[in-house]
Amino acid sequence: MYKTWFGEVENGKIKVSDDFAKSFKNAWNELNVLPLPFSILELGKEVFKSEKEYYKVLRKVAIQVAEEKVNFEIKREDRYAVILVKALDELINTINLLEEKCEDIEEIKESEITVELKNKIKELRGLRVEIEREIEDVLAKIAPNLCEVVNPIIAARLVEKAGSLERLAFLPASKIQVIGAEKSLYKAFSRMRKGKKAKTPKHGVIFQHPFIKTLPKSKRGKMARFMAAKIAIAARIDHFKGELNEELAESVRKRYEELVRR
Amino acid sequence: MKVEKLAHNIYLIEKGGKEIIVTKSGYGSHYGEKIFDGYREWIPYRSKLAAVYLKGHHLNIKSNWKILYLGAASGTTVSHLADIVEKGIIYAVEYSAKPFAKFLELTKERKNIIPILEDASNPWKYSGIVERVDFIYQDIAQKNQIEIFKLNSKIFLKESGEGMIMVKARSIDSTVEPEKVFDKVIEELSKSFKVLKHGSLEPFHKDHIFVHVKQ
Repeated sequence: MYKTWFGEVENGKIKVSDDFAKSFKNAWNELNVLPLPFSILELGKEVFKSEKEYYKVLRKVAIQVAEEKVNFEIKREDRYAVILVKALDELINTINLLEEKCEDIEEIKESEITVELKNKIKELRGLRVEIEREIEDVLAKIAPNLCEVVNPIIAARLVEKAGSLERLAFLPASKIQVIGAEKSLYKAFSRMRKGKKAKTPKHGVIFQHPFIKTLPKSKRGKMARFMAAKIAIAARIDHFKGELNEELAESVRKRYEELVRR
Repeated sequence: MKVEKLAHNIYLIEKGGKEIIVTKSGYGSHYGEKIFDGYREWIPYRSKLAAVYLKGHHLNIKSNWKILYLGAASGTTVSHLADIVEKGIIYAVEYSAKPFAKFLELTKERKNIIPILEDASNPWKYSGIVERVDFIYQDIAQKNQIEIFKLNSKIFLKESGEGMIMVKARSIDSTVEPEKVFDKVIEELSKSFKVLKHGSLEPFHKDHIFVHVKQ
């Protein structure tokens, strides 16, 4: 059986669908039967009586389905990413805790339990990789520019800390620079309020990025400031436009190379 | 106004001492391009296909061609292709929902665009929608873009159909010289297709080339 957007074809006979939007969404065929052994257009002309009518209905259905999908995806995807990041953090925590306990047990007594624990930890590590991959997929779809400027995991953390892609898009670069370093930021603020000397943090979540991590301490602040500015722009393009801007990531790379050489 | 015809519905016109490329169109502006009575400015910095014509490769797209377009984004290039294939049809595939919202406005205005929100690396998902086409145009910045092109042309391209691929060096391999990436891409493509023409898109698009192939 072959599936087309207007119905199913079996033994050369077509069973016309009673819901074109539904059959359009399900018009999948296994790779090994492709290309289809018949012409979709010729068959469609029989069903819809004319080529003009065929394209008219196809276009209408395609637009309707696309609209549905767009609305659905835009609403859901960034919340999905936020929850995934939270789950990922919990998982990393759990893995570390379990590893610690496993070592504690081993020190006292070699038992079957430790073997089982180790297996479970291994499984959890596999799950961790899977979740990271899913986050990468989602982020590539909803925030291509953020993914290019930083990497998908850091991008996801920024979205998570901000609450949503929309809120990240409205944050100033100075705030983005210290996302994830709130504790030391407010500690510094409270010292300042008391009239004491204090240093505000240079970087939060974005410190994880190799372009910052690998620089000497004296240059990290510069890089973090620059990167935060570009992240702010990237988040805004992603939120309002959604198209990839190639110069943005390129400028971050250039700035990094400048700082490394100096 | 001096007008020079490059291909069907594609012209070079002179405006204020400068030559610009336009498509003949009865529609309004889609992405901020200028309109000169009946012609739409085709901005080569925005659309790689316009850059191909300006680089001197005058691809002969016929007015009744059926086209499969992979990587439609917000529809900048598609809008001009829709001007060109006025009697044909464009199946436009895009994976990302955000730019597609803008693209949908275009599909509602034009009568010859079928929008499909799917991943071009899974062509089986739209195998029951897209018919055999004369031309596949691909502009997707993905590592496995050559594989994606091969798979799609195997399923949807007519026997003597043609294809145009825009290749960005950095999205395939950012660690080696662009030239090396391009050589490899062309070698890879010439295993399955006849490479009719290839060339750089500088100065309009940095580190990009186009490859025009025939089955």
